[in-house]
Amino acid sequence: MTEVNDGTVQEGIPPQGRVTGTHTSNSYVVSVNGLEVSFGDAKILQGVTFGVTRGSTVGIIGPNGSGKTTLFNCLSGFVAPSAGSIYVGEKNVTSFSPNERARCGLGRVFQNFGIFREMTVLENLVIALQSKVPWGASSVSSLLPWGSAYRQVKEEAFSYLQEVKLTEKAQLKAGSLSGGQMRLLEIIRAVAFGATVLLLDEPTAGVSPRMKDTIAELITTLHSNGKTVLIIEHDVNFIQRFCERILVLNEGQVVLDDTPERVRENKALQEIYFGTESVPVRI
Amino acid sequence: MQPVYTYEYEIHLAILIVLYFILVQSFNLTFGLGRLFNLAHVASYAIGAYATALLSTSLGWGTYACVSSSMVSGALLAFLIGAISARLQHDYFAIGSMAFSAVVTAILVNWKSVTGGVLGVAGIPRPTVFGHELTENLEFLKFEGALCLIVMTFLWLLFRNRFARALRAQSEHEAAAQSLGCDPGAARLVAFVVASACAGLAGSLYAYYFNYIDPSSFSLTEMVFIMTVAVVGKPGSFWGACAATCFLVLLPEGLRQAEFSPDVLGPMRQLCYAVIMFVVVVINREKLFPIQRSV
Repeated sequence: MTEVNDGTVQEGIPPQGRVTGTHTSNSYVVSVNGLEVSFGDAKILQGVTFGVTRGSTVGIIGPNGSGKTTLFNCLSGFVAPSAGSIYVGEKNVTSFSPNERARCGLGRVFQNFGIFREMTVLENLVIALQSKVPWGASSVSSLLPWGSAYRQVKEEAFSYLQEVKLTEKAQLKAGSLSGGQMRLLEIIRAVAFGATVLLLDEPTAGVSPRMKDTIAELITTLHSNGKTVLIIEHDVNFIQRFCERILVLNEGQVVLDDTPERVRENKALQEIYFGTESVPVRI
Repeated sequence: MQPVYTYEYEIHLAILIVLYFILVQSFNLTFGLGRLFNLAHVASYAIGAYATALLSTSLGWGTYACVSSSMVSGALLAFLIGAISARLQHDYFAIGSMAFSAVVTAILVNWKSVTGGVLGVAGIPRPTVFGHELTENLEFLKFEGALCLIVMTFLWLLFRNRFARALRAQSEHEAAAQSLGCDPGAARLVAFVVASACAGLAGSLYAYYFNYIDPSSFSLTEMVFIMTVAVVGKPGSFWGACAATCFLVLLPEGLRQAEFSPDVLGPMRQLCYAVIMFVVVVINREKLFPIQRSV
């Protein structure tokens, strides 16, 4: 039994997932402290607190309406919290705009496909690579379509496309790609922009089983390259393949924070998804 | 002795086309790339025209000062509108910008002591370049063409660099653009200011060419014409906008050859524009206004 910062008691929480006070230490690449989000009277997130260590892969599961996407929106800066703080490394980014947070290394992959469908596949990567350099630091050469800097950016974009086997589709409109290919493009685009922490919101939604494997392989590769990955997913079997830790959200609260194996075995998970009268939701 | 054909009519048409190149292409930057329903473009055009008209007639300012002032006043108006309506998007931005345009028109009509009201400003001199007054239309065309070449080169580069990509990205999926470090508000504001500065320049050239301006030249009808050209040319397409400008500026001239009476010709021209716009919108409705997605 482990006592946590709000005085409640959690069971079977491993050391990496323990909620112990505010999270601003060097060991956490992302620290969320007492995050609360309300829309009118509805409390979407209620005192969410957790820390994510550098290079780890964390799955976030929970029933529909539990606040998973709101948590990601809050982390990316699209929703302002009513209380609490968010740290990226040592930096408090709670008041930062989404684009400022992106520059801090938070890369977002959206549930409803965040690719630019009207642009070509190549342009989707070029925009990410060019945006890496702030406007003030842009050279004149990078602003000219025939400049050497632009040629370099295109070459770099092709190297990223090669990683997800989309080189042949480079000149096609991104909207013509399949769902799985769009996901791969969006993930690799976030990496190209320089994201060190990837927030993947249901990356396998609407994707064929075969493409699911390809996405899993990409996430594993990113993990082995030292990227930190937070992934929202409904398929526990899928995230178990690469996540060393799973957070379970229910009614805006982190109710479980454990290894995938122990989360699966926990009766509270069944209670959350299927509901029983005998087992309490919060443990 | 046989009179010499001076091509005055063709030169007049060329001057109009060049003028609309600047006006439409700058509108294409905001409307085409940024998907901003900027209905205040014609207000910037009017401000530019009145700046040149008033500064050259009342204060006797020279051409360079007047042209620069027109561009700056257009840009300032855009900055003001942009700063106030930065939070407005899509339809709300259109309504906000139309309201500003209506305010500008009301000022032009009602502030008679300065703008001359509905009577407008007359006696605007022709521009003087290197000490030479451009009284001949061909000379004016060369001057206008040189300015247009500079503006179009600038816009062409803008249409192809990272700024245009950021503008297109925010128009399609603002949140995704932000997650790539783009600042959509800043991109929209810069596009709006640049487009309005160009519209101010077009207004200045209009005032210099016609030597007389009044508020009726900058009505909503003019805005609809500019939008029709941008839509027909495919929003965001640089060369499409150029081709559509030539086609739609010359279209009424073709009707003129048909020898309709002036009572019929005027409405027919408007009807033609309306039918063309309607057909293009129906055919390309999904491509013209793609769904803007959010988180």
